[in-house]
Amino acid sequence: MKSLFYNMGYFIRELFKTIRLSALSNFFSFIGTSLILLLFGLILISWWIGDNLVSSLKDEAQISAYFSPGMEQEQMHKLVDEIASMDGVTTARYIDTEMAYEENKRLLGDEADILELFDDNPFESYIDIRINLDDMDSVISRVTSLQGIDYVRDNRDVLAQLKSLVNAIKLIGSVVALAVGITTIIIISHMIRQGIYNNREQINTLWLLGAPSWFIGFPFVLAGILLTLLGGFAAVGLIVLMLEKGYAQLSGYLMFLPFPSVSELKQNISYIIIVISAGLGLFGSLFGLSSIKKD
Amino acid sequence: MDKSIIKASDLSLVYKDGTKAVNKLNIEINPGDLVYITGPSGSGKTSFLKLLMGIEFPTGGSLNVLGVDIKKGRKGRIQKMRRQIGPIFQEFKLIEGRTALENVCMGMRFFGIRPSKIKKQAMEALIRVGLESKIHTKVENLSWGQAQRVAIARAVVRKPKLLLADEPTGNLDHENAVSMLQLLGSFCDSNTAVVITTHATHLIENQKNAIYVHVDKGEFSIKTGKAGIAAIS
Ligand SMILES: Nc1ncnc2c1ncn2[C@@H]1O[C@H](COP(=O)(O)OP(=O)(O)OP(=O)(O)O)[C@@H](O)[C@H]1O
Ligand SMILES: [Mg+2]
Repeated sequence: MKSLFYNMGYFIRELFKTIRLSALSNFFSFIGTSLILLLFGLILISWWIGDNLVSSLKDEAQISAYFSPGMEQEQMHKLVDEIASMDGVTTARYIDTEMAYEENKRLLGDEADILELFDDNPFESYIDIRINLDDMDSVISRVTSLQGIDYVRDNRDVLAQLKSLVNAIKLIGSVVALAVGITTIIIISHMIRQGIYNNREQINTLWLLGAPSWFIGFPFVLAGILLTLLGGFAAVGLIVLMLEKGYAQLSGYLMFLPFPSVSELKQNISYIIIVISAGLGLFGSLFGLSSIKKD
Repeated sequence: MDKSIIKASDLSLVYKDGTKAVNKLNIEINPGDLVYITGPSGSGKTSFLKLLMGIEFPTGGSLNVLGVDIKKGRKGRIQKMRRQIGPIFQEFKLIEGRTALENVCMGMRFFGIRPSKIKKQAMEALIRVGLESKIHTKVENLSWGQAQRVAIARAVVRKPKLLLADEPTGNLDHENAVSMLQLLGSFCDSNTAVVITTHATHLIENQKNAIYVHVDKGEFSIKTGKAGIAAIS
């Protein structure tokens, strides 16, 4: 411990010497590590956004039931009450044509001008039904079979598609995460081996003078961690930039899309990438160091 | 605890190609001993020193150095033992691109000593071997004799219990060789044993307490005092 503390200055000088000795190849290692971590970060962000989307759509399990043509107002209200009292239904609300128009206008936002093109209100009245997700199938079949209900629209298809998309992202993400881990460890351990090779005489001499393995290996571990950390910081910088650009592009739609907040996203991704890059640097250099033992 | 520094019983080293470098050597070396190992080139002097440092391992018999049984698979213990040895290699093994001072410091960095103290002791050691003017010179710019002195300073600054010098008279003229042996002998005290190999037998003077070992083709013969000097010359 004392030796570690007393030699910090020496270790740091050695660290820079190791990096300088094959500066170009270490620079390429840095670029490679940054790009790999960038890819990893982007996949992670899509995973996140997708997950967020799915879970907020799940919370809002909602179906719309449309009336058969020619129904009386009174019959409609009776149907609403009947549906409201069904098992698995939280609320059932009658949406008249005016309200449907307003709702669609709100959803269209900036594009609402399009509605001006219609002379009449193009929307029908319907019943907005909020349900428990688990009861979705049974509620839909019961509501469909009711007298006076023409058809039912649900967001199951969208949800299912989104879910499979998110699952695909997760699968790709896991493969990419694995690839990132292995590639980074290979890059770093190769860099460490190169450093050991460049320093082989010094290492051999230190070894003969009785230096403990940790003393010989420490500057290399530092070099590995420094390189991946630099790669991690570069990746974080690029990702933050991309996030800001991307969110700025989406700014008009953001209130309708259940996206995580950009600041939360930025913070989490930076934290994760930095921790992972330091961890990979440590593993990579220890892995590379295991080749010292053969001496 | 056994306080002998080296204890070899029937120690043998046969290289993979069948070369017998050390054959059934029995020797005990204690603190304060000054040991000269002489013999022609290729006789096994360096091989014996390699055994002492745990660079080679016995193929027969046993060897104990500073309380550690020299055997394969004891890396940690052997490293610890090496820290108590001051080796002066035949080819010096200085670290190029570094100054004389840095090289001497290098041998002490893992001893848990404060850097300022390391530097001070390293300076003193370099002054003691007469290299005051070359402290900040890179070792690749030193003459052979100066580089050798750096190697000596690096070895002795560690206050070793065992100082090993392999062929320190190799490239030196008669006068310098004699003073080199005197310098190395001066590090022998009640805590430290000094082992010096050389094929320049004519340089070795009869010294009280010195142990003379002659080796030829791996066969060692050991004598002390006057009889020893007579036997090897
Ligand atoms: N690694 C090895 N493998 C095989 N043979 C070796 C090895 N190292 C040394 N030898 C042989 O062992 C014998 C003793 O070698 P050693 O280096 O101990 O001699 P030496 O007495 O130190 O000679 P010199 O005075 O020239 O330094 C020699 O015949 C040498 O060729
Ligand atoms: Mg030799």
